[in-house]
Amino acid sequence: MAKSMTYAILEGIQAEMRRNKLLTLLYEYQKPVAGGEKGAINLEAEFGRWRARFCAIDEQWIVGSCLGMSMIGVPAIAHIPSMTTFIPYELMFNHAGKLRHMTGGQAAFPMVLWADMMGRVPAQGGQHADAGLESSYARLAGLKVVIPSNPYDAKGLMIAAIRDVDPVIFCQYPMPSSGPPVPDEPYVVPIGEAAVRTEGSDLTIVGYAPQTVEIGKAVEELKKEGIGAEFLDPRTLAPLEGVMETILKSVKKTGKLLTSDDGSYSFSNCTEIVARVAEALPGTKIKRLAFPDAPAPGAPEMLSYMRVSAVHIVAAAKKLVKG
Amino acid sequence: MGPVKEVKRKKAAKPAGEEFTKDFLVGLLRRMMEIRGFEDKVFELLARNVLQGASHVYAGQEAVAVGACAAIDQRDYITSTHRGHGHSLALGADLKLMMAELCGKATGYCKGYGGSLHITDVSLGILGMNGIVGASHLFAAGAAYGIKVKGTDQVAVSFGGDGSIQGNFFSSAANAAAAWKLPWIGIIENNGYQIWVRAADVYGITDLAQRAHGYGIEGRVVDGNDVLAVYNAAKYAVEKARAGNGPTIIECKTYRWYDHYGAGGAKIGVDGAFGLGYRSDRELRDWMAKDPIPRFRRFLVAEKVLTEQRADEIVAEVRQAVEDAAAFAKAQPLPKPEDGLRNVFAEGAVPLHTC
Ligand SMILES: Cc1ncc(C[n+]2csc(CCOP(=O)(O)OP(=O)(O)O)c2C)c(N)n1
Repeated sequence: MAKSMTYAILEGIQAEMRRNKLLTLLYEYQKPVAGGEKGAINLEAEFGRWRARFCAIDEQWIVGSCLGMSMIGVPAIAHIPSMTTFIPYELMFNHAGKLRHMTGGQAAFPMVLWADMMGRVPAQGGQHADAGLESSYARLAGLKVVIPSNPYDAKGLMIAAIRDVDPVIFCQYPMPSSGPPVPDEPYVVPIGEAAVRTEGSDLTIVGYAPQTVEIGKAVEELKKEGIGAEFLDPRTLAPLEGVMETILKSVKKTGKLLTSDDGSYSFSNCTEIVARVAEALPGTKIKRLAFPDAPAPGAPEMLSYMRVSAVHIVAAAKKLVKG
Repeated sequence: MGPVKEVKRKKAAKPAGEEFTKDFLVGLLRRMMEIRGFEDKVFELLARNVLQGASHVYAGQEAVAVGACAAIDQRDYITSTHRGHGHSLALGADLKLMMAELCGKATGYCKGYGGSLHITDVSLGILGMNGIVGASHLFAAGAAYGIKVKGTDQVAVSFGGDGSIQGNFFSSAANAAAAWKLPWIGIIENNGYQIWVRAADVYGITDLAQRAHGYGIEGRVVDGNDVLAVYNAAKYAVEKARAGNGPTIIECKTYRWYDHYGAGGAKIGVDGAFGLGYRSDRELRDWMAKDPIPRFRRFLVAEKVLTEQRADEIVAEVRQAVEDAAAFAKAQPLPKPEDGLRNVFAEGAVPLHTC
């Protein structure tokens, strides 16, 4: 059985905690425990409660304490639940992202904000079915943002995030156990590198996290209709420069860009990618698909009407390619 | 509305004890039974996969909601939590509209937009269930500030679990309420757990009402499975707040019978969720032995307020009302897909971006 997202991430953290005897994880109720074929992982049992501690319902503490301890050289991972993504926003914005700069390079926060993300889940209602919040973090100075779409990238990006000397926001959406097999050993997926999921020359499709499932289906469908889509998964949202190299190279070839997003339409990472492409490659044919600028309704009928699915992606791609 | 009118909402405070009429007392019992009946049904629908989403079942804690809500009346406000079906029902929310909302129907309390986590009836003063832990306290304290601005004698009551007092929502509420004597009553439903995390493992105190003193607020601890104990504490706090003497924090010690949400560890027709790992079955059994409902029923029968026969009739009436609510919900229409684009702002709809 393939490793799950959580298993892959915990395997990465476990290896780093073994390597670095100070690395510490604070969390709320998302136990750092996972079962898999290679044996169960239980970080509290292995490293003790000081290094893997559950906390009160207090995301300010979880994130703020990780900032504080990382300042004195105790690298830390703050794991917060999905509906609380913005509770530590001020800490990340005004402190984590700024202090290195404000102190002329003295202050450092070697920490990871491991943010669970829910995605557009039906029957939950606005507060528990959000997506796209990573865009709000990606626009803040001094913060790196990574967003894996499969367990392989999740493990490699988590290790890269832990080893990075700057604060990294690691966004975990619930994703299926698909993609390349996850090696048992530690490895790094470098921050700032996009992945080319499928190659093609008719159009470029960009999307990440849960939308990769829809895009993947759409790409197969398009192939049947003779349209070759190049599907790129940014994996890193900030800084975006390295990712843009891959995207621009592809769009130069295809001349067409389609982005697909579970986040809302306005002021998103996809908006930023589109702007950069428009600036660098004038004349590119562009289409953006996204969730409306609305909260997610509870009733599944309303939600699925609003969310981009493979059918929409296929239709938009055909329109871009055929005129 | 079902037959739920026995809790008479008084227009003005009566002398102590005078409110304990037969109707009032039986009304408390009926309300608790109604909540239990509703939650049993919700649980059954969850277990049978008829209901989607995360319903956080309130069974076991009924005396808190009913005792506290009996102390306020229609002019007042409550704010509630993820585990809030009981709070809304205690204040007189309609079983049918609630069940319809849980089923995501267009005629439910929130027209299918909200679901289990967000039952709201502004007309009854139910400012809403909130899925963000602790937010209930802040909004009730804000409403209490608004009451001061308006100059009325209303009060605002917030419910929150033992987990709700640690984030800064609670401290912001408590500090301001104390400083300006806001008519705020903060109810802490201490059921001992925050999902699986024991309150005892993340707090340095056992009686959470102790927190109140640091803000300059009177804090009280009551048996949260004793409806009259909760009522008396709430009544005292409400009268104090109405008289302009500021907030009170009431900690109610209680227990939830089912898992944090959903139907894990439970069987249809059997009370309680067992084998959950983070708590012992024995602990649950001990608390089930303190079930607030039979306990109050026995008391009323012993005091000759109620006969066993009448109590059985109420059980049957409540069961029928709950079944009616479930049948009502099932028959209701689904929302129109495009309505998801509405209610973002007061006017109009936002554009769709799927094509
Ligand atoms: C600010 C915030 N953090 C975390 C969560 C996730 N969460 C939902 S309910 C819950 C536990 C709540 O415990 P408690 O307040 O004691 O209420 P109970 O569930 O016991 O009724 C948690 C952690 C949340 N909804 N909001």
